[in-house]
Amino acid sequence: MRDALIELLGKPEGIVLYQLLDATQFTIYLSLIAFGGGGLVGALIAFLRLLPNRWAGAGALSWIWFFQSTPLLMLLFLSGLGVPRLFGVDVNPWTAAVISLTIYASAYLADVWRGAVESIPAGQWEGARAVGLSFGQTLRLVIVPQAGRVALAPTVGFLVQIIKGTSLAYIIGFSDLMAIGKRWANAPVEGTEPFIIFPLMALIYFCLCFPLSLLARRLERRLGAVTQKGAATAAA
Amino acid sequence: MDLRFFEIYRSADYLWLLFHGATLSAVLTIASGLLGFLLALGLSTARHARVPVLGHLAAAYTEIVRNTPLIVQLFFVAFGLPLLLGYQWPFWAHALLALTLNFSGYFSEILRAGYVGVDKGCIEAARALGVRPPVIFAKIVLPQAMANMFPSLSAQFIFLFLTTGVVSEIGVEDLTHAGVFIDSRSFRSFEVFITLTVIYIGLSLMFKAGLSLLQARLFRWQSVS
Repeated sequence: MRDALIELLGKPEGIVLYQLLDATQFTIYLSLIAFGGGGLVGALIAFLRLLPNRWAGAGALSWIWFFQSTPLLMLLFLSGLGVPRLFGVDVNPWTAAVISLTIYASAYLADVWRGAVESIPAGQWEGARAVGLSFGQTLRLVIVPQAGRVALAPTVGFLVQIIKGTSLAYIIGFSDLMAIGKRWANAPVEGTEPFIIFPLMALIYFCLCFPLSLLARRLERRLGAVTQKGAATAAA
Repeated sequence: MDLRFFEIYRSADYLWLLFHGATLSAVLTIASGLLGFLLALGLSTARHARVPVLGHLAAAYTEIVRNTPLIVQLFFVAFGLPLLLGYQWPFWAHALLALTLNFSGYFSEILRAGYVGVDKGCIEAARALGVRPPVIFAKIVLPQAMANMFPSLSAQFIFLFLTTGVVSEIGVEDLTHAGVFIDSRSFRSFEVFITLTVIYIGLSLMFKAGLSLLQARLFRWQSVS
């Protein structure tokens, strides 16, 4: 692919485009890992929030509140510089970036999912418990399938936030699309001026994010319609 | 592991830097929030009124802003545009422009959703009374959309405030810049960035309180049903 691009676009441009696209894979990996990690932690936090235990609920709320109020940049600095220096250990940029973005994503995803579960009418819980389902069964068979529909669109939408968020990881030394692009923009090579490189990077990010934004919007429209119809049927 | 917060707090220079940085962060955010809101009003109105060409351009602009990272926009505005058009501004002006453009994209999407959500009956009633469409928009659609969307706008504003730290990357001496500087001098990274986090949270709480007061004042007419 590298040679094809060089043949197509010439010497600096072909190499630059190849390197940018090559670095994009790390943006994608980091986004996916952060989404996965954030989803797991976020699900745990949302679950704690739903437990009847008061302390678990307060803990979950504090987690959500604190990490939604903390700038992602601070999480990156803390996990990439602060904690390693405090304990005198070496943390590589991958680990630090994954930890920061996971925590960041977990706070938002937990909030979305908690909201989705709480949007399910109490009658669903009561009905399920009345027919003899346990707490776990109620959650798994009755609540989550309904809440999932509500939560799907904002969850996909948040993936866009994560992808955009990964662009900050270069600050702690993570080598992704942002890092490689910035290096080229600083290089005194003709054809890699900042007004060419940055729009090109924006285009690559756009190609990653925009389809997801569209998908989120379509899901919102479709599933929103379903829940409204469902509510209408329930009311009738 | 030893925590030495006092190494930061006993230095008057560091405290002054933090104060100065926090002030600049707050002022920059408020200024670009206001300018971005004005721009967003124009953008969302062009889309809502389906102005030919301009409406589509506004839609495309909004999508581009919302689907690319702030830092790429910032670098383009700070390093790309000046080179392309041949002008030179101080760092803070680049930051102000980039943040304004960024804010406007997010705000315009919220406002547009607000216009759509206004009760159709209200608009039809005004039309039946012979009120002209621009007046309907200014007097009926806009105030209601603003009242309905103010909480979303506030939340977005605070969310965007928390991302403004990236302006330190182009040399603006904001709160994050102050932190990075103090860190490079003191090597107390953990303490420095915890302090910064606390200041950021404090400022966002202040913004939240201020915006709630503003909401209560501006939309007193909106009855709580």
